[in-house]
Amino acid sequence: MSPDSIPIRPVDKVECRTCGAGAPVDEHFCPNCSRILALGRHGDFFAFLGLPRQLTIDLQQLERNFRDLSRKFHPDYYYNASSQERLASLERSSYLNDAYRALKNPAARIEHLLAIEGLPPAQSEGSTTKVPPALLEEVFALNEELDDIRDARESGADPAGLRQRLDAARQPIDRKRDEHEAQLHELSAKWDAERDTASNDQKRQTLQALRTVLLERNYINNLLATIEREVASVGAGLPTSGSSTTGQIGDPAAASQKPEARE
Amino acid sequence: MSKVVGIDLCTTNSLVAHVGPKGPEVIRDASGDALVPSVVSIGGDGRIYVGREAQRQLLVSPERAVYSVKRFMGRGVDDVQEEAALLPFRVGGEPGGVLRIGIADREFTPPEISAFVLRELKHRAEQYFQEQGEFDFEVDRAVITVPAYFNDAQRTATRDAGRLAGLEVLRIISEPTAASLAYGLDKKNRGTIAVYDLGGGTFDISLLKVEDGVFEVLATSGDTHLGGDDFDNLLIQLVLRDLELSGHPATPELVQAVRKAAIEAKLELSEQEEAEIRVGPSPALPAAYRRQITRAEFEESIGPLVSRTMEPVRQALADAGLLPRDIDEVVLVGGSTRIPLVRRSVADLFGRTPHSDLNPDEVVALGAAVQADILISGRREMLLLDVTPLSLGIETMGGVVSKIILRNSTIPATGREMFTTGVDSQTAVDVHVLQGERELAADCRSLARFKLRGIPPMPAGLPRIEVRFQIDANGILSVAARELRTGIEQTIEVKPSYGLTDQEVERMLIESFEHAEADFEARLLIDARNEAEAVVTATEKHLRRRDFSEIEQELLPGELQRVDEALQSLKEAVNGTDRERIQQQTHALNHATQHLAEITMNRSIREALAGKNVKDV
Repeated sequence: MSPDSIPIRPVDKVECRTCGAGAPVDEHFCPNCSRILALGRHGDFFAFLGLPRQLTIDLQQLERNFRDLSRKFHPDYYYNASSQERLASLERSSYLNDAYRALKNPAARIEHLLAIEGLPPAQSEGSTTKVPPALLEEVFALNEELDDIRDARESGADPAGLRQRLDAARQPIDRKRDEHEAQLHELSAKWDAERDTASNDQKRQTLQALRTVLLERNYINNLLATIEREVASVGAGLPTSGSSTTGQIGDPAAASQKPEARE
Repeated sequence: MSKVVGIDLCTTNSLVAHVGPKGPEVIRDASGDALVPSVVSIGGDGRIYVGREAQRQLLVSPERAVYSVKRFMGRGVDDVQEEAALLPFRVGGEPGGVLRIGIADREFTPPEISAFVLRELKHRAEQYFQEQGEFDFEVDRAVITVPAYFNDAQRTATRDAGRLAGLEVLRIISEPTAASLAYGLDKKNRGTIAVYDLGGGTFDISLLKVEDGVFEVLATSGDTHLGGDDFDNLLIQLVLRDLELSGHPATPELVQAVRKAAIEAKLELSEQEEAEIRVGPSPALPAAYRRQITRAEFEESIGPLVSRTMEPVRQALADAGLLPRDIDEVVLVGGSTRIPLVRRSVADLFGRTPHSDLNPDEVVALGAAVQADILISGRREMLLLDVTPLSLGIETMGGVVSKIILRNSTIPATGREMFTTGVDSQTAVDVHVLQGERELAADCRSLARFKLRGIPPMPAGLPRIEVRFQIDANGILSVAARELRTGIEQTIEVKPSYGLTDQEVERMLIESFEHAEADFEARLLIDARNEAEAVVTATEKHLRRRDFSEIEQELLPGELQRVDEALQSLKEAVNGTDRERIQQQTHALNHATQHLAEITMNRSIREALAGKNVKDV
C-alpha cells in the first residue's frame, strides 16, 4: 500500500442515507432508523471489529466478532432491501473482510496499528529498496555467496553441493528472522502494556521501534524468498535465465513498484 | 410469486433444483431423469434442440451439434486452439476478442449456447411447477454455480448466459461451496471440510471452516481444464488408434460413436473390474469394433491426470495454513469422483474415507437451490463466505503485475491503487486489469483495459487518482476512480478482454426474443400442418372405402364436389407456410366432410352390429 493511498481522517459522524440522521462513526446501524449505515471514512479496523487497539488479540474473539458482523452485513441478507442499503451492505462487508484479514495476520496487524497511529507504513517505497543498516553485513555476505552459486550453477556444478551451500547461506538469515519475530513479540506486549498508561512520547518510541523491526523483518522475508527462488533453479537444473534470478538482492521490492502513468 | 431455482450448469450434464416444502430437491423429467446433457443442436428445420435430443443428433450429424461449451466460457480464440482441435465444431472469432462457435450455418458465442441449456432447465422447472398446480409457475430468477477456480471473465460469461436465458442471476456461487451448503443442511456441523470436486471438465478443491452455520472458505484452488472429458479422450484415442490401424479413418460420425462407447465403458469400470468398448456396426464401420479393458488398465492410463489434481490440493492446504490431518471431513462432488482410483487417491491424501452420501451429480444443484432460498427468504441460519480464487492486479511499468487483491481473499473485497500522470497536463491514463498469480502481465489473464479520463490538467505527478476495485459476492469485478485533489469522479470505459459488452448482451437478448418468437411461430406452423394432415388422411380414407359408391348415393347433390375442392385447397395450403390459411382450410374441410363422416360412421355402426368387424369394412 502506498503512503498516500488511504487518507485516514477520523470523522465524528456519518449521515444515515436512509433517514438522514447523524450516527457515530463506530456504529454499524443507524440508531434512529436501525438501517445499515453507509461506510464513512473509518480507518480503524480494531474499533470496527469491536476490539481494543491491542497487538495481542484473542483470535477466537476476533473470529466470533467477524462471524457475528458478517451475519449482520452480508449482501445475501439485503437482496430485497433499498439500493442504498444494498450498497451499504456491500461496502461494510468488504470492509469487514479487509479488516478481518489484516487483524488475523500479526504483521498486518502491526502495519495497521502504525497506520492509524500516524506512522508511515513499513512497506513504503524507498524504504524496502534500501538495505536496513542493521542487516548490511548479512546482505553483503549473502549477495556474494549467491553470485558465486549462480556462477557455479551456470558452469554445471553438482546440484547437491549447491543445495548444501544455499542451506548454509540461509542459516544466518533464518536466525535473524527468528530474532526479529521475538522482538516483534516483545514490542507488541510493550505496546499493549503502555497503551493506557505511558506518555505519548513513550508510546511513540515503541511504535517507532515496532516499525523499524517490522521493516527489517519484511526485508528478511524478501531475502528468504530470493534464496527459495535460487533453490528452485538449482533443483530444476535450470541455467540462469530471465531477470528473476539475476536481479540484485538489493531490490526485492521491485515487483511491487507503484504503477506509473502511461499514454 | 414467481419461482426461484438453483442451477448447476455443468460441462457434460446440467440440472435444476429448488427448495420445496420438504426441503431442497432436484427437478426431474417425466421419466425421473434429473440430468439435461449440456448439448445443443440445430435441426434441419433451424430449430434448436437441447439435451437428450441434441445428444442423439450429435451421433448422426455431428456438424449440427455442440457440447462441452463450458470449456470456452470467457475465453478467447487464441486460448483454445488445442482443445478446439479435439472437438467436432468450428471455433472462430477475432484474436483477442470473444470466441464464436459455428453450428450448421449459424454462429454463437459460448454464453449464447449456455443460454439455450439454461432456457431448457428453466422450461423444465416451469413445467414441473405447473404440474404441481402452482398458480405462478414462471421461473425468472436463479442462482447459477461455476467452478471455484473460474476467473472474472468466466463468471461474467456465465452471468451473461443467465441474462440471455431470461433469468435474473441472483448470485454466481462456486460449485464446491454450493455442495458444502447441501451437505451442511441437517447437521449442526462444525469443523474443517475439504470439498474435492472433479466434474466433466473442471477440477476444484475448496477448504472450508464451518461454525455456527457460517461456511467460510479458507482457500480454493483447481484446474479449469481437467475432468472426466480428459479421461474419455484417453479411451477415445486408444480406440481411434485401433480403428486407424484396421483402415477406418476417424470421421466426425465415427469419433462420436467411439466417444459414446468410451463413456459407457468408463462408467462401467467404476462398477466392475472389466468392461467392453463396443462401437458400431454403422455405415462408417461395417463390422463392429470390440475391445476388453480392465479397471487396472484404465486406472493406469488416467493415473497421471488424477495425480495432477493433488497439486492444487496441496496448494490450497498451504494457502489455508493447514495440514491434511487438520481436515475433519472430506466431501466428494462431481461424477468423476465415482472412479475408484480417484476415491483411493483422495482417501490416501487425507487419511480418511471421503463422504459421498449425496449423489455427487446432484449435490451442487441442491446447494445452489439452498443459496437461492437464503437470498429470497432472508433466512439467516446459514451464510456462505466465499473467496476470490485468483489474485487481481494491474500492469505497471515493464509489464510487471502489481497485485491489489490477493487470491483467497474473502469476498466481497476491495482494493485501491493510486495513479498519477507522467507528463504535464496529461488528462487520461490507461489501466490494464489482470487476474492471476504470475509476476508478468503477459502470463496473467487480461480482464479489461480502461482509460481514466477527465483528469484535471496539472503538472506531471501531481494528480492523485484513486482507483477502487470492488469484487462483489459473485466474484465479479467493478471499478471506480476519483481524483483526490479535486474530488472529481473519473469516467471509466471498461472493455472486457474476452467477454461481451453490455451492449452486446442487450442486442443478443433482443435477437433471442425475436428468435423465440420465430421459434414459437415455427412450432405453431408445425402443429397446424400436423392437424391438417390428420384431416386430409381421414377424408381420403372415407373416399377410398370399398362401399363408397353406396355412400355417394346418400350424399346431397354437389356435396362430393365441395369435399373434393376443400381437400385440394387444404393440400395446397399445407405446402405453403401461411399458418392461418392452413387452419382456415382445415376448418373448411372439416365442415365439408361433416355429413360424409356421419354417413360413414352410421354404416360402420350398422356393419359392426351385423357382426362384421369394422376393420374389415
